Amino acid sequence: MQQTAKTLLVCLFIAALMGSVACSKKNPPPAALDTNAELQNADLGAGEFRSPADIDPALAAIFKNILFNYDEFSLTPQARAILDGIAGWLKNNPAKLVLIEGHCDERGTNEYNLALGDRRANSAKTYLTQLGIDGARIYTISYGEERPLDPGHSEAAWVKNRRGEFKIK
Amino acid sequence: MHMHPSQRRTSRTRARCAAALTAAVLTALSLASAASAKVYIDINAPSSMSVPIIIPPFQNTGSEPDPGKLAAGMAAVISADLEFSGLFRIIDPKLLNAELLRGVTSNEIKWDSLSVVGAEAVVTGVFAVSANRVSVELRLFDAVQGRFIMGKKYSGTLNEHRLICHRFANEIFKELTGAPGIFETGIVFVMQAGGNKELYYCDYDGGNPRRLTTFNSLSLSPSVSPDGARVAFTSYRDGNPDLYVMNLAGGRSEKICNKKGINISPDWSPDGRKIALTLSPKDGNSEIFTLDVQRRTLERITNHWATDVSPSWSPDGRSMAFVSSRSGSPQIFMQTLADRSERRVTFGRGSYNTSPSWSPRGDRIAYAGLIDGSFNIHTIAPDGSQYRQITAGQGNNEDPSWSPDGRYITFSSNRTGRKEIYIMRADGTGQKKITIGSGDKTDPAWAPLPGN
Repeated sequence: MQQTAKTLLVCLFIAALMGSVACSKKNPPPAALDTNAELQNADLGAGEFRSPADIDPALAAIFKNILFNYDEFSLTPQARAILDGIAGWLKNNPAKLVLIEGHCDERGTNEYNLALGDRRANSAKTYLTQLGIDGARIYTISYGEERPLDPGHSEAAWVKNRRGEFKIK
Repeated sequence: MHMHPSQRRTSRTRARCAAALTAAVLTALSLASAASAKVYIDINAPSSMSVPIIIPPFQNTGSEPDPGKLAAGMAAVISADLEFSGLFRIIDPKLLNAELLRGVTSNEIKWDSLSVVGAEAVVTGVFAVSANRVSVELRLFDAVQGRFIMGKKYSGTLNEHRLICHRFANEIFKELTGAPGIFETGIVFVMQAGGNKELYYCDYDGGNPRRLTTFNSLSLSPSVSPDGARVAFTSYRDGNPDLYVMNLAGGRSEKICNKKGINISPDWSPDGRKIALTLSPKDGNSEIFTLDVQRRTLERITNHWATDVSPSWSPDGRSMAFVSSRSGSPQIFMQTLADRSERRVTFGRGSYNTSPSWSPRGDRIAYAGLIDGSFNIHTIAPDGSQYRQITAGQGNNEDPSWSPDGRYITFSSNRTGRKEIYIMRADGTGQKKITIGSGDKTDPAWAPLPGN
């Protein structure tokens, strides 16, 4: 807290000097010790998420993998279309929960890919909430490059591996 | 048993070794060297100043037979240590008839023969095996002047014969350079087995590998505490990628951070009190935080819409290097912690630069960078100057981690077709594979000697 106060003081002082509030733009004062609000403990809930196709083969047509471009987490039109279908199913099955797994291809660094996979899963989650699905029903997890669908080292394999995959319970 | 400064290190190792290794100065011989603390090699000089040294197979003077090529094996461990340091050039003992190499003490050694093959230093060793133990006498001589420099007598279990050799190699390194060696340090790494990845530990040269975790899960990204006692890592053991800390000496692990999203890429602060890590508190937007290991409180370091990941502290604890995609592709950035000012470190070379590792000396940051379709290890000064590519032309080379003295780097490479752990000098010379066996090995973290 002391540091925050100090940083704030320095910022105020500079701001006064500059006659502006620009300092926060350059060096955003950090929210020190922000352990609460936005930092919830991980909780995937009780019970195991399962592959929709394992529960009912007919679900495979709805819960198709969504694919991403290299080093990107924005949703393609195809991905949105799949998510539209998943949102419809979730609306019709209000007791069901969904887990979105974010995956990457093998290229690049493991740690960066874990972060990228997290963003991919969250892109899909955000879109589903925009379609009216309660965020509390949507879980996310990143596997980075750790769980490739295709173990190959070709572009064909990489395309399949850059994906969001869905589990339900 | 005679007490000696080296005894301090003995006590440190006790935590690691089942049986304590004992060491004693060869007192009858050490008087001559006690007075001269001369530094023979300037380690900051170019590596062309390497000392030619010969280490003949050791002599078995005991009544029991050599149980497993100790004579050649122990000499080979010391040779490999010294050669890897880059400060020595090993002269092959096979250049001389074995009879000419049998001398152990000053008046037995055939100095003229050593001179013929250009040796400027020689190490001799004798050993004796009794039951499960081995006692070893090792001596270092100046072969130019035909002069004894120092000697040590060690006793340990047979399993400790490599440790004995590493310790004497450290003594040689210290004697001739004035700096401590790294030959007793270790490396923590990740090895794949089926769909799981577990943490392993081995000597710095790959010897004595042993498994650390049995989580039957994905365990990743180890970072060893500065005192060498603990390892922080990410594991999916309980489903989510959470952060764990485990005692290296064996024993329990503890989950210390399990925030929603990722809890990844730990890096211990130089004072060992905090761990920098990556969390994704909101919408999967990863940010760097520090975690107070005792109080379990978190402090946010970065605050940017882009992906920030893989922090690495500067050795003075005042700055942090990290990866950010804020300029489009992943690049190395650094933040000065006092005022949160941030700047980009890598410019114009490669569109994908990740895995920063700040040298313990403070003057360089090693990282993995993608150029022409391959990852290689590069180093750069923290101000972005003095860029150097360290590996080239042999597969993908990633995950750099510095030795505690900042003279060497461990990394992973797939140059053999499988991902293995390698070590090299900081200038990229002396590259050496240290792992064997099936399963990809990645994420090496150089572990300081426990107790340092």
